[in-house]
Amino acid sequence: MKPKVVLGIIAIVAFTSLLMFNLGESISTYTDFETATEMSSAHVPGTWDSSKEYGFSKETLQFTFYMKDESGNVKKVIYPRPKPNNFEEADRLVVIGEMRNDVFYANEMLMKCPSKYNSADPSDYVKASES
Amino acid sequence: MAEVGPVFGILGKLTITFSFLFCLISLIYYYLAAKNEDEKKLRIGNWLFGLKGFFMIVASAMLVWLIFKHQFQYYYVFNYTSLDLAPKYLWSAFYGGQEGSFMLWIFFSWLIGLGLMRWTRAPYKAPVLFFLGLTQLFLISMILGWRFGDMTLGASPFRTIAEEMPNAPFIQANPDFIPVDGTGLNDLLKSPWMMIHPPLLFVGFAMMTIPYCFAMAALWKRKYNEWVGPALPWTLGANLSLLTAIFLGGYWAYVTLSFGGFWAWDPVENASLVPWLIGTAGIHTMIIQRKSSVAQKSSLIFAILAYVAIVYETFLTRSGILSDSSVHSFVDLGLYNQLLIFMLVVTGVGLGMFFWRYKELPSPDKESKILSREFMTFTGAVMLFVLGLVIILGTSSPIIGLLFNDNPTPPEISFYNDWSMPIAIIMAILTVLGQYLFWKKYDAETLATALIYPLLITSLLTLASIIIGGVRNAYYMLYLFAGFFAIVGNSWVVGRLAIQNTKLIGGSLTHVGFGVLLIGILASTAYNRPLLDQNTEDYNAAVKRGEVQDPQGFTISQTIEMLELNLDEPKVINDQYIVTYEGYDLSNQNRPGQQTYRIRFQEVDGGRPFYLYPEVYPMLATSTPGNVSWSVDPDVRTGLLSDIYLYVAGSAFVDQRNKQIERQQELLQPASDETEDQLQAQTIEFERGSIKEVGGFRFTFNDFIQADSVNLPTNTSIGVRAQVEVFHFASGQTYLIEPLFALFEEEGQTFVLSPPVNLSTHDLVFQFTSVKPESNSIELSITGLDEEYQEDWVLIVAEKKPFISVVWTGTFLLMAGFTVSIFRHWGRERKKSEE
Repeated sequence: MKPKVVLGIIAIVAFTSLLMFNLGESISTYTDFETATEMSSAHVPGTWDSSKEYGFSKETLQFTFYMKDESGNVKKVIYPRPKPNNFEEADRLVVIGEMRNDVFYANEMLMKCPSKYNSADPSDYVKASES
Repeated sequence: MAEVGPVFGILGKLTITFSFLFCLISLIYYYLAAKNEDEKKLRIGNWLFGLKGFFMIVASAMLVWLIFKHQFQYYYVFNYTSLDLAPKYLWSAFYGGQEGSFMLWIFFSWLIGLGLMRWTRAPYKAPVLFFLGLTQLFLISMILGWRFGDMTLGASPFRTIAEEMPNAPFIQANPDFIPVDGTGLNDLLKSPWMMIHPPLLFVGFAMMTIPYCFAMAALWKRKYNEWVGPALPWTLGANLSLLTAIFLGGYWAYVTLSFGGFWAWDPVENASLVPWLIGTAGIHTMIIQRKSSVAQKSSLIFAILAYVAIVYETFLTRSGILSDSSVHSFVDLGLYNQLLIFMLVVTGVGLGMFFWRYKELPSPDKESKILSREFMTFTGAVMLFVLGLVIILGTSSPIIGLLFNDNPTPPEISFYNDWSMPIAIIMAILTVLGQYLFWKKYDAETLATALIYPLLITSLLTLASIIIGGVRNAYYMLYLFAGFFAIVGNSWVVGRLAIQNTKLIGGSLTHVGFGVLLIGILASTAYNRPLLDQNTEDYNAAVKRGEVQDPQGFTISQTIEMLELNLDEPKVINDQYIVTYEGYDLSNQNRPGQQTYRIRFQEVDGGRPFYLYPEVYPMLATSTPGNVSWSVDPDVRTGLLSDIYLYVAGSAFVDQRNKQIERQQELLQPASDETEDQLQAQTIEFERGSIKEVGGFRFTFNDFIQADSVNLPTNTSIGVRAQVEVFHFASGQTYLIEPLFALFEEEGQTFVLSPPVNLSTHDLVFQFTSVKPESNSIELSITGLDEEYQEDWVLIVAEKKPFISVVWTGTFLLMAGFTVSIFRHWGRERKKSEE
């Protein structure tokens, strides 16, 4: 083989391994609140528990709510920024942060906005024939 | 509202089916026409192609009609519109959902097909149209809605609510059920940007199909060289549309979606960027192929991959696979398998044809030298492609991440930044070398001489910006140097070309734009600062030193990035501005209950003050107990050097409303104690013309007026109305109320009539309880007033973003450069066709 081709192959292999290594380093795994206790930065997916109190506090400058993870644990989540737009409409949340004393401190929060039908309450509809 | 019968929906599905069938038959004719070079079959194919589009237009018109006629028995109409939606947003609701956006995509693709029929020459014409038809066949199949037992092919925009949710209890109780109103368009989509951003994106998607079709035609017909001529203007056009769409999306995210910036490496953003990058790589290789008949292989592969990238990203964003990692990907409509097949076919056919013909493909006789335009341009293309690959890799984390763990998250943002920065530096330097070599032959020595002045100016600019900007990071210094080098070096070329022939400057101009963009991106993202007062800054400094602990004894690591302002109490922020909250206006115009806050900025050392008007508005939310959720619209003051970006994080008004909602919720509970509510009523006594200030309001009793006797009971002895002016301090709003007081007799007894008057915006109820003629005064009972005056405050998140304008300028230069190039290459192709 020509030396140029060998060099090229080495460069491509080196580049690809570095890229994949780097990607592997920056990807973590989704967990639940229980496992998150042992991690310094955990991604926990779940749903908002709207039956409990939630809201932004002017005193602490934090947004607090309760979230139910996929194993069914409900934990308090503290997010140090204002309530994001569309929070109430999201049917799925991913909080990124760490667990301390049974409270999850989120640095980041992702929301998944649904097809609206899932959250629509059928009792809200009025039959057209009656209107 | 007349309702249309189910026939309409069946007709709609039929039209789409016709469109699909005509597409299928036209494919057969195009195939035969391409195989045998048969003019007649091509003409028949063209007619069928036209009919397909005609039926798609009819179907689109029917859907638009259903939307405008509020036919909520159709799921699409129900899910994306409502009665109160303004007509302009009814239009955008047409492509607000997946199904409609497929229709729009097919429509643009069809229009472009008509253009291809007119302007493409043999032998490419029939095969190009064949492949265009093939992609449309897949797109139409996404909205067919055919049922085979449990399987459905496509999601029809004409499916009814009963078809969509057959198991819902209200459908089971009454199969003919029709909702009175739809669930409406998401408030965030009610934006003028929504009206132009998606259509432009689909024009870009549709146009990016063309280079793919030409490449396939070239491989089929074994004509590997001539195809780039006609394909080039289309590719440039696709790039211009995608670029404009990306720009509009970024601007929309920045000014109305409160994302806080113009780029977040979100999968949906990446989905539009990657095809652009690969398409641009293709443009580079096509240009050198046209000039020197080399790089046929890479032009073909980039043209194929650019479209594959579009289909792949369509798969990622529409199949629901990204549901955890993206803020705004679509939910799965059951199209996962169909999209997967679409992607596999496009990729398989594309790469299959390429490798099938691979051995025949021309190779250059001798390798080009490093200092040649071919080598430089090719390297640039490879760099663009590599950047595209890195981004695809990160975006594919739900699939590729499985290599690392079972439940992979998206990569951290730093993954994208760490890789794109060095690539951008290399690209920036290459642009200058490439542009110099493109127009003139140089060897190492003459090139170095030619670059002396540009390098000198670059160094001066870099040095100046390092000193002025206080740049400490060596990596940033290198990046700045590369960016300035791209600007200066390419401007040099633009200047030289402009003297010779202005039509030639397109390429160099885009490269100047690229350099400007690089500088803007660094300045606006790395030097973003929150606007804070001195106390908060001191607190944040302590947090950074690790000196602050929370009550549980944990060290706090999060700094505060919010600013609290009390009504009419100025605060100094960043030693630069005096900021004052001057109240808010309540209006019901665009969105009921919207508050527009007035925030005044004044430079510490004088100058003209200016205002920012962030907005907060309530949205109905079915999931919250109180049914109201609050959304914000930021306001941006655009400046030449820096922007101020600001939104309201909380306010006394929103707080009060939330408390009222809570109170109403409690009242709905059966066990609640109503006396508490009554205690809150208080009585004010005042004379005619006097003023009282209570609980944040000023009440002025102007006068009595005689009540209209028509509305009074018979036997009324007294019937007066009091004219009272209610002024709300915080919002500056004035209301006029005229409560009634009447005495009437019935069966010898005297009764008082004083119906309550509601002021719903502030949840106040007034009752005119008595008249005291002896002192010329009245008594008003007011419910819902706070006993003590509540201070009015607002919490804002504000940021100073330097040089955002530079990012836009860079984008505009890129657009301008592409436009010039389109005219040049298009003009040349037109001339060729006329010959």
